[in-house]
Amino acid sequence: MTKEIKFESPTFVERLKGMLGVDFYRLFHTPLFYIFLAIAAIIPAMVSGMTTMPDQNGNQIEIYQNAWQIIAASKSLYVIESIADYANMNMVFIFGGIMVSIFIGHDYQSGYVKQLFTTHAKKQDYMISKSLVCAFAMACMCVTYLLGGIAGGLFAGYDWDVNAGSLIIAILGKMVMSLGWASLYTFLNIIFRRYFGISVASSFFFGTGIVIIGAAAIVENLSLPTFILNIFLYGASVNASLVSNIWTLVTCLMVSIAWAVIYNVVGTHILNNSDVY
Amino acid sequence: MNAIEIRNLSKSFRGMYAVDHLNMTVPQGAIYGFIGENGSGKSTTEKLICGHLVPDGGEIKLFGKDYTDPGVRVRVGALIENAGCFPNSSIYQNLRMQTINLGLENADEEIDRVLKIVRMEEHANLKFKKCSLGMKQRVGIAMALLGDPALLILDEPINGLDTDGMRIMREILIEITQKYGCTVLISSHILGELEKITTHYGIIRQGKMIMELSAEEMDSRAQVFVSLKTADMAKAKAVLKTKFDSVREEDGYLRVYDVEDVESIVDFLMKNGHVVSEIKKNKIGLEEYYIELMSQKGDK
Repeated sequence: MTKEIKFESPTFVERLKGMLGVDFYRLFHTPLFYIFLAIAAIIPAMVSGMTTMPDQNGNQIEIYQNAWQIIAASKSLYVIESIADYANMNMVFIFGGIMVSIFIGHDYQSGYVKQLFTTHAKKQDYMISKSLVCAFAMACMCVTYLLGGIAGGLFAGYDWDVNAGSLIIAILGKMVMSLGWASLYTFLNIIFRRYFGISVASSFFFGTGIVIIGAAAIVENLSLPTFILNIFLYGASVNASLVSNIWTLVTCLMVSIAWAVIYNVVGTHILNNSDVY
Repeated sequence: MNAIEIRNLSKSFRGMYAVDHLNMTVPQGAIYGFIGENGSGKSTTEKLICGHLVPDGGEIKLFGKDYTDPGVRVRVGALIENAGCFPNSSIYQNLRMQTINLGLENADEEIDRVLKIVRMEEHANLKFKKCSLGMKQRVGIAMALLGDPALLILDEPINGLDTDGMRIMREILIEITQKYGCTVLISSHILGELEKITTHYGIIRQGKMIMELSAEEMDSRAQVFVSLKTADMAKAKAVLKTKFDSVREEDGYLRVYDVEDVESIVDFLMKNGHVVSEIKKNKIGLEEYYIELMSQKGDK
């Protein structure tokens, strides 16, 4: 005699709860997360240790004038004028990309992804969960970066004068941008899921903002308003500087959510229409 | 109700059909042995059922519902190719993740339960990468068993296991179907082992299902034969051929097919001057039946 089986469809929230639970469990139980938190803390301390560097004429110049420049650039600069404009909390998005690639890559390398896709018929669960968990990880890296930056600033003996409101908005703005960046990296890892090396390289490539720096050069040459670059992840991230106002945060929030939605929708579509393992 | 019902399922890779308009019916509660040569499309079919691959066409129903129904899929357990565990995590941690994934509330009890079923309760804290092949296969089964699955899909679960490992796996599969009412779809190359547990068979060749039958039907189709030994096998064979239609020499024995009366054969040989030193009645097994079937299809 066969057993009567009842099937109850889990709701979207129940499904997502399960997937998020697994991803958070993995995140907190993998050394990878803690290693990247440590890297995020060490890098700003190291950068602040390099208080001077040679200019074009060979003269030694100060990289930073203010300790908070390690956290955010002194103004919104889409084209890099000096290392100080570049080396700030935006670097978290580069390390974060590598972390996300390794985190998602392990899903495929171990074969665990088969368990997830067998029991989760809806592929959007995977995309959303990975984006949210990786965004959380990158936001945590922003926090350790901040702590490392403060420690480095203290060590280097920089000036601490800053508009506190703008600083807080810049930090929050960059943390908010983690969602958009994490969604981008999740998307890239979905596309290159069979090629771990390419996943890591593509995440690094996009994280450095090379694409948007090129776009910025074009925009400046055409004398177009540079604020249009804020519609991109890197643009909005750079825009969160030490002269930020509340609209900077609103822009970060909108841009981050918009790109997260775009990458999740397209990523889900790709997963639904291609072989996942 | 059927646990799996597949109609006209197709999947191609670079224009070559791996699964070619396949039809398949797995009754609920069955242990369905899925048999075929390497590259015949077994694993591809299993991956299609689990939603890992996107079909080119056709229909897959699980327990009467579309296979993309989240309610059905959450009750499917699978072991395809490998256990799908994180090597640096312990067995317990891997199972714990799956309990979270499935939203099971009594996680520790559930982990204890499945570890007992697969005889691994002593090894919960062992890192997965430290497990032997047999242990890894059993952990894979344990993963698949979490959350009271209605359907288990097992791809070559007994490959690479020693005799004892195979026996344990056999006992596990029988237990989970009898005790938990689970339907099992199992593919394996070790047909002799499969024969001991399966209730139904599906034979696939070049992506097409060439035959589906129950174990009873298989039994009734299996040829009966008498195998014997004499001092002069060649002459005895010639003598037997004068009376019996099908006589073959295999594995050092003379086989007389479709004859159940052992005494008549002994008498006949004695009258013709041959003394039988060894004789037994037999039935061809799944493996021989499969080889026979494949050679017939190959000829066609």
